[in-house]
Amino acid sequence: MAIAQETKAHTHPKMKISSRSIVLWVGVVFMVVFCLAPALWQVLTSFKTNAAISALPTIYFPSFSDLTWDHYTSLGAGFWRYVFNSALVSLLSTLLCLGLGAPAAYTLARIKLPGESLILGGILIVSLFPYVLLFLGLLEIVKFVGLGNNYLALIVPYSAINLPLTILVLRSFFQQLPRDLEDSAKMDGYSTVQMLLKIMIPLTIPALVTTGILAFIFAWNEFIFALTFVTRDAMKTIPVAVAQIGGSSVYEIPYGPIAAATVVGTLPLLVLVLFFQRRIVQGITAGAVKG
Amino acid sequence: MSQSYLSRLGRACARITLWPSGLKISGLKILEAVRGKIAAVFTVLGRGHSRGVKVRWFKFGAWIVGTLVLLQWLVVPGFSQSPVKIQVMMQALEANQWQEMEAAFEEANPDIDLELVEAPNATNLVEDLYTSAFLLGDSPYDLVYLDIVWVPKFAAAGWLMDLSDRLSPEDEADFLDGDLAGGRYQEGLYRIPFRSDGGMLYYRTDLLAQAGYDPPRTFDDLIQISQSVQEQGLAQWGYLWQGQQYEGLAAMFVEILRGHGAFWVDPDSLEVGLDQPNAIAAVEFLRSTIEKGISPPGVTTYAEEETRRLFQNGNTLFLRNWPYVAGLAADSPIADQFAIQPMVHLPGEESGACQGGWGLGISATTPHPDEAWRVIEFITSREVQKQFILDTRYVPSRRSLFNDPDIVAAYDYYPQLLEVVENSVLRPPIAQYAQASDILQRYLSAAITGRMTPEAAMQAAARETRNVLGRA
Amino acid sequence: MTQDLIRQREQRIGWLLLTPALILLLFVFAYPIGRAFFLSLFTENLGTQLQPIFSGLSNYHRLIEDGRFWESLWNTSVFTGVSIFCELVLGMVFALILNQSFRGRGLVRTSALLPWALPTAVMGLAWAWIFNDQYGVVNDILSRFPFWETNITWLGDPTRAMLALIVADVWKTTPFIAILLLAGLQSIPEDLYEAHAIDGATPWQSFCQVTLPLLTPQIVIALLFRFAQSFGIFDLVQVMTGGGPAGATETVSIYIYATVRRYLDFGYGAALVVVTFVLLILAVVLAGFLLSKARINVSGGR
Repeated sequence: MAIAQETKAHTHPKMKISSRSIVLWVGVVFMVVFCLAPALWQVLTSFKTNAAISALPTIYFPSFSDLTWDHYTSLGAGFWRYVFNSALVSLLSTLLCLGLGAPAAYTLARIKLPGESLILGGILIVSLFPYVLLFLGLLEIVKFVGLGNNYLALIVPYSAINLPLTILVLRSFFQQLPRDLEDSAKMDGYSTVQMLLKIMIPLTIPALVTTGILAFIFAWNEFIFALTFVTRDAMKTIPVAVAQIGGSSVYEIPYGPIAAATVVGTLPLLVLVLFFQRRIVQGITAGAVKG
Repeated sequence: MSQSYLSRLGRACARITLWPSGLKISGLKILEAVRGKIAAVFTVLGRGHSRGVKVRWFKFGAWIVGTLVLLQWLVVPGFSQSPVKIQVMMQALEANQWQEMEAAFEEANPDIDLELVEAPNATNLVEDLYTSAFLLGDSPYDLVYLDIVWVPKFAAAGWLMDLSDRLSPEDEADFLDGDLAGGRYQEGLYRIPFRSDGGMLYYRTDLLAQAGYDPPRTFDDLIQISQSVQEQGLAQWGYLWQGQQYEGLAAMFVEILRGHGAFWVDPDSLEVGLDQPNAIAAVEFLRSTIEKGISPPGVTTYAEEETRRLFQNGNTLFLRNWPYVAGLAADSPIADQFAIQPMVHLPGEESGACQGGWGLGISATTPHPDEAWRVIEFITSREVQKQFILDTRYVPSRRSLFNDPDIVAAYDYYPQLLEVVENSVLRPPIAQYAQASDILQRYLSAAITGRMTPEAAMQAAARETRNVLGRA
Repeated sequence: MTQDLIRQREQRIGWLLLTPALILLLFVFAYPIGRAFFLSLFTENLGTQLQPIFSGLSNYHRLIEDGRFWESLWNTSVFTGVSIFCELVLGMVFALILNQSFRGRGLVRTSALLPWALPTAVMGLAWAWIFNDQYGVVNDILSRFPFWETNITWLGDPTRAMLALIVADVWKTTPFIAILLLAGLQSIPEDLYEAHAIDGATPWQSFCQVTLPLLTPQIVIALLFRFAQSFGIFDLVQVMTGGGPAGATETVSIYIYATVRRYLDFGYGAALVVVTFVLLILAVVLAGFLLSKARINVSGGR
């Protein structure tokens, strides 16, 4: 990275730009280290032998004898089942959340409705409720509707929990779009729904992707509901499966296998984010900024 | 909340309208029918058409069938009917260890299908899961695999069946007294012990011999020997115990209390003894181990595993822990250089091992109490338990197993272990134990980290505990 | 008349678009919240054989004298205040960096999201291990510097334990704020900056005069949600400190969770939920009021 920074500095004749790019690269390096260091430590743990994990002094650069695949093989092929469950639940809840949230956000941003501020206030207030404390009431609902051990018992609450964020973020984006767009679309004879689907939604892709990613990650990692509402082994999600990884005794926390499970369980998320993050850039400003 | 308001409301509604259980079945039938139709259409169409069309139809058909399969999966939970299903939930780790017993049981009892539901390994999460299952009325679990401290709460809430009449006198005589006592609440017996547990003192035989000491008997011995061994540079730390703010802190502390002749809560009179002088002296002892440098300052953040790892690394003389350490330490750098003994005490007082362990109870709402009892009888029987102990190195709940030749051949220290667990001390079997334990943990943690004096901390703890027990 | 008709039609469509979302929210939130308000007027615990007995406001009375509740509320407030402040500053810096164009931005962006993507419960374990006094990386690194205390018991001291929690939380949730702000930055047209630069504004000036005002909605949303999430923090604390030492890191959610699920004290737990919830709403209303007042002042000053 240092090389890249220097070449960049040299190609620009003005001093101002080079100092700017130095600041930028210092920031980038700081950010990457800040974000990656604990995660990389986790990756390293997943490859270390149990002895190396708790060795003193701490091992930063393990030799070959300190490394092992065992933690990964100990997960077994069954782990993919949990990855699949998490993917299914997260995907459907994210789609449901965006599918319901985007139209609602548009309405709240553009169409004047009686009692609108009341609804907005309600959404705001609901978002303040600590979600962990919902579980007992939700448990009764789940039991009542007969959704125990059913993916829907997770999909619906996850969507609802992410809905306030989705609505508020998308609403602020819709509000920032110039009104002329809609006016001219209306002149061209578009209906409200058509306009929403063909003009507004494509323009808010950065916001959709952003909230979608946040909602997806939330659903992927949620623990308490997933633990309580689903007890059938074949339907458990990754965090619950990780909590069931055992060591040599009930007291032991098996750091190695847990780290391995985390790595396996997070890779799909990384691929997803890597794929979709481009979309954040390609919004209304696609022409102005180059990725 | 024994019945949720929602379910009461639901019953009222169900009288008027069709409710999901009915809907679900008809929904399933419709799904099946539609799927059949589409499959038929798709085969007919697929036959005589050109290839491009075929592919298109194939895609379309596959898409629809896929959606339907997915839908069905989402909407219809599994429904399998077998003989009599008896469900019990336990930590995933232990469920794996139960596999063989489960198979053996089902072979001997073909009319019962024993199902082990896996839960996370953190025991508080297992407790949470059982709790929420019971709160909703009819629990799906016929058997409850209970930690000893849950018994009073579960029994007081009316979730467990009284088993006093079912247990035979011979079995009653063979089970460890403390373990059986831990299964009682007021007049009833709610839990049959399966595997026992008890806290004890591990010491390094080699270091004691080098320094020329006998194993300690009293708290003063422990401190003196530790200091001397540390001064000679034989060990970095003298004594390790569990000081993190969690249940293990309370478990460790009842042993120190017993050794000082003090008590926490008397279960019969509900009297609280935490602010009595000997209880305060117990806290002062713990605090002094840190102040004198016998225990590392970090001991106030340690649970079982941290202390075990440090002890196994080889530079610690004494460790308070559960029996599981013996198995793991036998396979470590200090193998054959350690031994166990009951916890130390004041001169003239007795030592006590905190009674832990797991056992089985029967859910009050199970439709199959007799089948559930057959499972308990089988699992806790002498032969089955013996095989389980041999496989897993857990502590038996039956006295006769500690001196069983096969078991002694495998684990030579089990006769000493019996000596430890026979002198057990219970954490107070009161319905509000969880609350009382949290109060103690908070104030004890404050005292050992130096935020409060032992005296002030124990007075506050006693006051709050009395409030909870309604004895203010 | 046609105007009216069009408006009516539009409103009908509006309701059509809005209702599904509202139904979902009602379905999930209405019952648990309503139930808490209702149940807080009853005593329902092991003492009453888990049957609800109407007891008026006695739960609230008990709550006023419950030192543990107020302590946990204070702990949560400190945690929330400090961590949100750090997250906002860092998140803004990250968002500004990620909004620049440089080589490898896609990868950097993905790695910036990584902390948010890792499950809290697992990373809580990892952080507890990192802050372990004997094996922890933090102590190991510190011990390489001269004049540093070695073997600091991070999780055994009230202030340090809180600090460790805040570090873990800031690490985990800065990406949340960063990505929300980044999406906001992306929607600010570039020509605004260019026009500003032509007027001779320094980068700092254009940040204050263009970026901040236009980013306000996103900042407010990010703050609001982080406030709610942070105040409800549960799993990280549960795993890292369990509320210890001596209850110094016990948060409101942990206390309420224990009251309901372990002590089976449902009526009182409900009262705790209600009071926490109402206090949160009041805090947000107050913040909103102050914010709007500040904005009027600013615009009035111009």
